[in-house]
Amino acid sequence: MAKSDYFEWAGELFSMEEVFSKPEALSDIKIVEFCTLILGPSTPAYLTEFGATVFKVELPGMGDTMRSLTPWGWFWKNQALGWLKCARNKLHVAIDCHKEEGKELFKRLVAQSDVVVENLRGGTLDRWGVGYRDLAEINPRLIYIANNGFGQWGPYLVRPSYDAIAQSESGEAWISGFPGRLPMKSGIWLCDYYGGLMSAVGILVALHYRDRTGKGQYMEMSQAENIMRAMDWTWLYCHLTGKDRDRYGNRDVAICPSDIFRSMDGELVAVATTTDEQFKGLCEAMGKPELVNDPRFVTNLERTKEGNAEELLSIVKDWVANNTWQVVDRKAQKYGFAAEKVHNGRDHYYDEHFEVRGFKWHIDDSILGDGVEEGVAPKLSETPGRVKWMGKPVGFDNEYVFTKYLGLTQDQIKELEDKGAIGKWTDFISRTPPDDWDGKSGIIFP
Amino acid sequence: MSVEKTKPWDEWIREQDDPRYAHKKPEALDGVVVLDLSRAHMGGCFGASLLAELGAFVIRIEPPGGDAARKFTPFGMIHKDTGLGYLNEGRNKYHVTLNLEVEEGRKIYRDLARYADVVIETFKPGMADEMGIGYRQLSQVNPGLIYCAIYTYGQFGPEAEKNRAKPDYDIVDQARGGIMAITGEPVEPEIPEECRVPTKEGNWMGWYAGGVWAAYGALVALIWRMESGKGQFIDVAPPEGLLKYCDYHLQWYHQAKELRSRIGPYDSAVFPYTFVKTKDGTNFISGFSDVNWTHLCNIMGKPEVKDMFPTIFDRLNPENQPKIHHVVEEWSRNLTSQELTDTVMKFNLAPDAVGVVATAKVNKPLDTLGEDNWWIRCAFVKLNDPNYGEITIANPAFNRMTETPARVKWLCRPVGADNVIIYKRFLGYGNTKLEELKSKGVI
Repeated sequence: MAKSDYFEWAGELFSMEEVFSKPEALSDIKIVEFCTLILGPSTPAYLTEFGATVFKVELPGMGDTMRSLTPWGWFWKNQALGWLKCARNKLHVAIDCHKEEGKELFKRLVAQSDVVVENLRGGTLDRWGVGYRDLAEINPRLIYIANNGFGQWGPYLVRPSYDAIAQSESGEAWISGFPGRLPMKSGIWLCDYYGGLMSAVGILVALHYRDRTGKGQYMEMSQAENIMRAMDWTWLYCHLTGKDRDRYGNRDVAICPSDIFRSMDGELVAVATTTDEQFKGLCEAMGKPELVNDPRFVTNLERTKEGNAEELLSIVKDWVANNTWQVVDRKAQKYGFAAEKVHNGRDHYYDEHFEVRGFKWHIDDSILGDGVEEGVAPKLSETPGRVKWMGKPVGFDNEYVFTKYLGLTQDQIKELEDKGAIGKWTDFISRTPPDDWDGKSGIIFP
Repeated sequence: MSVEKTKPWDEWIREQDDPRYAHKKPEALDGVVVLDLSRAHMGGCFGASLLAELGAFVIRIEPPGGDAARKFTPFGMIHKDTGLGYLNEGRNKYHVTLNLEVEEGRKIYRDLARYADVVIETFKPGMADEMGIGYRQLSQVNPGLIYCAIYTYGQFGPEAEKNRAKPDYDIVDQARGGIMAITGEPVEPEIPEECRVPTKEGNWMGWYAGGVWAAYGALVALIWRMESGKGQFIDVAPPEGLLKYCDYHLQWYHQAKELRSRIGPYDSAVFPYTFVKTKDGTNFISGFSDVNWTHLCNIMGKPEVKDMFPTIFDRLNPENQPKIHHVVEEWSRNLTSQELTDTVMKFNLAPDAVGVVATAKVNKPLDTLGEDNWWIRCAFVKLNDPNYGEITIANPAFNRMTETPARVKWLCRPVGADNVIIYKRFLGYGNTKLEELKSKGVI
């Protein structure tokens, strides 16, 4: 079919209007989350977008430490923004697993579920009597994944970890940033979100295997090892040359040209070509078609060689410096090379493209009201992902979950509350509903 | 089911999931056929590698002569016939060539696609469709097909249409993906001008983000297909994949109408949580919750500092952050990175310890390769590959699964090395037919 109708066809196929009238791929999957901060909670958050039911288990009262994660201590309607990102679509229950009744309740929830995700240090839940060895006994089909820094065994088992520990240990920070400056820690909690997503990949793989064989299993996800796997040619280069990989600023030393340049109107612009054909396009756009036949630049292998690369980058730098971003952009569209300006939060927020694609997701939340968050990646035509709600106070869904999934009566729930085995939020910021909450909105049951 | 519980946890679990015995176990994605059509794109190659590590039968389709990605390599360095970037993602794949520019090649591709469960491609949007080998055409002969298209701007929306002639490439994905705008050093006079700019991750994080999201989407779709029998089309835009990692990016702008600034190694939501200089390098160190902050002050032997910044909000105050940083560095500079880590761990493991401080040396890659921990855990593997000799690579992140651990079987294959076996197995072609196709430039 002709190309002219392609975008229209794709736009209709993925239309945001249709999202809620299509099925959810993971609607029969139940996940128990016993996690804190981001590496753990992000995993089930990704899976809820495609329909999984997630029971987020927190301690009664203060709940997950993550509820305090927000820039400069700034709260919106009593909520921490860093917390909301990973709280979406979950059912929030609060169980104290230090208490026997709490353990019992937790086990009953796991017996009903398909997956457990936890991110405590290796062996912690086993010590509490609610680890994999205990849970596999009551649910042999269980898929259990533990996300943490250093896995479940080995010399570093006792070491605590955060995102930046993974960035540091792996060498990822070392290879990022400018030569002569300090190694660069990513401005985002990269290894948490990326590790969390890889963990979700592992769960899906294990579900696929279980669908075929009936067997569950245990999986380790180490965020440090996970980022090491993503460090492309680093290890081959170290092995073959005996040299370290250093940091090269925004320049890509494996593909040339590729760097960030400042345009005449002050924008920071990425310009790159990955193939000889694209390079030819760039040379024509720059009005220097003769560069294509220059022996220093004739292939990517020649262009990436030291000396050649610096000369070529300096030519591109001059060209971008003498043109506005708009001109560079138009030429890139015409001549087929890569060019994009560095986008910030404002650019993203007002980006019509993200609006059309639904990546800028508007949520009308029953408890919190109007919010805007990143939507779903990737887009699936038959079973598109979706955001239903942003996040709820500690223990908000206790009655609903314990009644619907565990068959507890109101009296039994009350009794567990009195014993402190379950509970609700304490009066502390980001554990509570917003001040203007009417006491009813968002409650599913009773 | 009864489970042995007398052994310590780490000993027991290691017996169950030690990667040294991975080859004795089944593979989770055994029987899943994946066609990897990535073009000059390491994200697509990585997405397919992830599935190949977990047992999928991945057929890597390159144009005759090899994909341009084979030449993505630092400083023009070639090992045997291939660059290092590509070598790392050739693992476990069958490598065939096929010329999709000619109709005969496209016909062969359509025939292969009948057998495929998953296709991963990185063409410009609509290009495969125009060539008659896009989702619209392939799904007619194979309704169960799961088709992942990776492209910077996705398959629809105003920017996809406008930019359709631009290629997808890592730095563009990072530039558009939010991560760069908030990574790097702040605009301060003592920092050289060329260094205080938005900064990319050193690795191909934009591409790799696209790859993992493609694998994730394909797996969600495989689960759905098991239930419904239906395939689907998956649109992966790597910048959206990166924005999913960007903390509270959109919500912060929506609610506060403020931009996140670049703050070097500091963090705006947790502090101290930063790099500090040591006698011989740099360490990361944290202690942001009240109890961990107290613990850090005790480790430093400076209990009086605790009450100077008593709450988490005092420590997040941008005016206090450099002061706290200074205090910690006054202490850390007197220790080597190893001494610092050892000291912190001694306090962490003390029986009466209440808090926990996390620290690690900011390793050079060769430091990481030199640490026993990763070799004991098989995070790295030294392979003697029949085509590429002795090399070191990072093992799959999932090589510790009790039932179906991921594994590396071979590093990569030369261009067209598997033409004979793949065309025979799937399409029944013998040598005569292959010779004919070769002479016509189809393979």
